[in-house]
Order: sequence, then C-alpha cells, then structure tokens
Amino acid sequence: MADKSNELARKIQEAQQRQRQNAAGDNDGSAEPGKDEKSKALRAGTDLVAALAVGIFLGYWVDRWLDTKPFGIIFFVFIGFAAGFLNIYRSQTGQDYKVGFKPSSPEKQNSENETENGKTD
Amino acid sequence: MATNPLEQFVIKPLIPMEIGGYDVSFTQSSLWMAFAVIAATLLMTLSMRSKSVIPNRWQNVTEMVYEFVAGMVHESLGHEGRKYFAFVFSVFMIVLMGNMLGMLPYSFTFTSHIVVTGTLALMVFLTATLIGIIRHGLHFFTLFLPAGLPIVLAPLIILIEIVSYLSRPISLSVRLFANMVAGHTMMKVFAGFSVMMVASSGIGMVGAVLPLLLNTALFGLEILIAFIQAYVFAILTCMYLKDAIELH
Repeated sequence: MADKSNELARKIQEAQQRQRQNAAGDNDGSAEPGKDEKSKALRAGTDLVAALAVGIFLGYWVDRWLDTKPFGIIFFVFIGFAAGFLNIYRSQTGQDYKVGFKPSSPEKQNSENETENGKTD
Repeated sequence: MATNPLEQFVIKPLIPMEIGGYDVSFTQSSLWMAFAVIAATLLMTLSMRSKSVIPNRWQNVTEMVYEFVAGMVHESLGHEGRKYFAFVFSVFMIVLMGNMLGMLPYSFTFTSHIVVTGTLALMVFLTATLIGIIRHGLHFFTLFLPAGLPIVLAPLIILIEIVSYLSRPISLSVRLFANMVAGHTMMKVFAGFSVMMVASSGIGMVGAVLPLLLNTALFGLEILIAFIQAYVFAILTCMYLKDAIELH
C-alpha cells in the first residue's frame, strides 16, 4: 500500500512537472498554436453570421413596425456586420466576448495564479 | 438501405402524445436525451461509490471530468464561480453526452437539432442576463456602454453592442448544431459511397475500402469534435456568466 501510494506520488509529481513545462512553452509562443487558438478560429465564422442574422431580423421587424421598408433592413445589416466583426475582434484578441473594450489579460493572469495556489493546498 | 444522408435526422415519435393541440410525443430524440441524463448520472454516482484514494478507471474518468470543468469555471469566474459550477457542469454533461452517445451506431444525436441547442443556449443566455440584473440591478445595462466612449458615438455603439449581445445565443446554438449536422452527414455520405461501390461490383468492390478507411478516420475526428463542441459550449457559458458577474 505504502509502495503504491509512493509510486502514485512520484507519478503525480512527474505529470505536474510536465504540465508546468507545457504551460511555459505556451507562454513563449514558440510552441505550436494550442487548443485555445484552434477553438477560437472555429468560433469566428458563426460569430459573424449570428450577428448578421440578428441585424437582419431586427431590420425586418423595424421595417414592418415603422413601415420604413427598405431602410430599416439596410441600416441594420450594417449594424449587424459591425457587431459581427466586433465579436470576432473580441474573441481573437483575448477579450473573451467581454462587452466593452477592456482587455481581460491581467485578470486572467491573476486567476491563473489563483488556480496554482489552489492546487498546491 | 437509406441513401439519403439527411434521413438520420428525421424525428420519429415513439409514443404519440398531444396536449392542448400541441404535439408532445415522446420521440427517439427524447429517448436519447433520457439516455444521456441516465448515463451521466450513472457515471457520476456508480464510479464514485468506492471513493478510494487510488482511483480505479471509472473513478478516474469521473474525477477528470469534474476537475476539467472545475478548472474551467475557476479560471474564468474565479473563486466566486463556485456557485455556478453545478450549472456549468450540467450544461457540459448534457452536451457532451448528447454528442458522444450520438457517435454510437443506430443512435440519435439530439444535439443535431437547432431546437435542442437553441433551447440550451437560450437557457444559458437568460440565466446569465438574469444573474446580471439581479446582482447589479439597472446598472447591468451599462454593459452596453464601453468606458471612455465619446458621447457622439454612443447611440451607434450601443446599438452595435446590443446586436452583439443578442447574437450570443444564436452563435452558441448554431455552432453546436451545425457541427453535429455537418459531421454526421459527412460520415453518412462516405458510408454511402462504400455501399454504392460494392453495389456496382467489379473494381468497385476493391475501391469500396477507401471510403471505409476515410470514415474510420472521420469517426475519430467526430469524437474530437463532439468533445471540443461540448467544451466550447461550456467555456462560453462561463464567459457569459463572467460578464454578468463582473460587469467590468
């Protein structure tokens, strides 16, 4: 039993070391783009289309409501495009969909430190 | 042999029911949703029965899933995120189970229907919005007004921000739904190639191996996508909650 748990402790330590090395590699940017980068790229397409769809939908209903056909839809298509590119810009620059323009990176670093502290105790 | 690759998505009622003129039949989609809930519950409860220090395989799986989601919640929501862990975990598990059970032969992928993913996304969206309003009151709506914005631009930017905010549940639901439909359709199309080649006999019999091999590779890719999509769904849930909680 003691043997087994010693072995487990050793394995955990090794794995943690590997994990730390991997994390350090990611920070350099020297390693290949991580999983985060790929999922970001995958998100971009739907983000643009979704905002455009909302714009068209709003434009259509504004037109029906105020009887301003076709100006509502024209205006809201542009708003939708702007919102779509804003979505992409935010997700790609690490602002995590945060509405507003504050980058969230300093907070992120804080929370990462917290995670490590949490793991050690 | 069904040759239409979209036929797999047809909803078939198993127990027809009707309440107040609405069709509320128990369909194969409902059946697989029930399976997903049962599978998740069984995995979480049975594997943790022994609660040993050195986990067996099942307990290991459960601990991995738990720590994965807990880490995700902690990273994006910080210490306060603990309250919302159960919510994020449930969302993650139902999407993951839906995607993964859909990989079984003869099963049905309920996440391949926009009505299912849309309901999940709307639930996440409304929950995040309500939490924001409850925690910050009307102050929550300053979310749409970035700090340091010139007042001349305010009407335009607020409009753009609102559209951007409203597009969240749509992109969340469409992403999951589109990935599932595309993947499963593609696999069916390649399987169809094999069937047609065998049916044509002659050299086709040998060639039929190629789509089969490709399908095997696609199957692996689909399992990866099934996981990544569940991960994306859960991480975006965290981010929307984060917006509502922190309000920068």
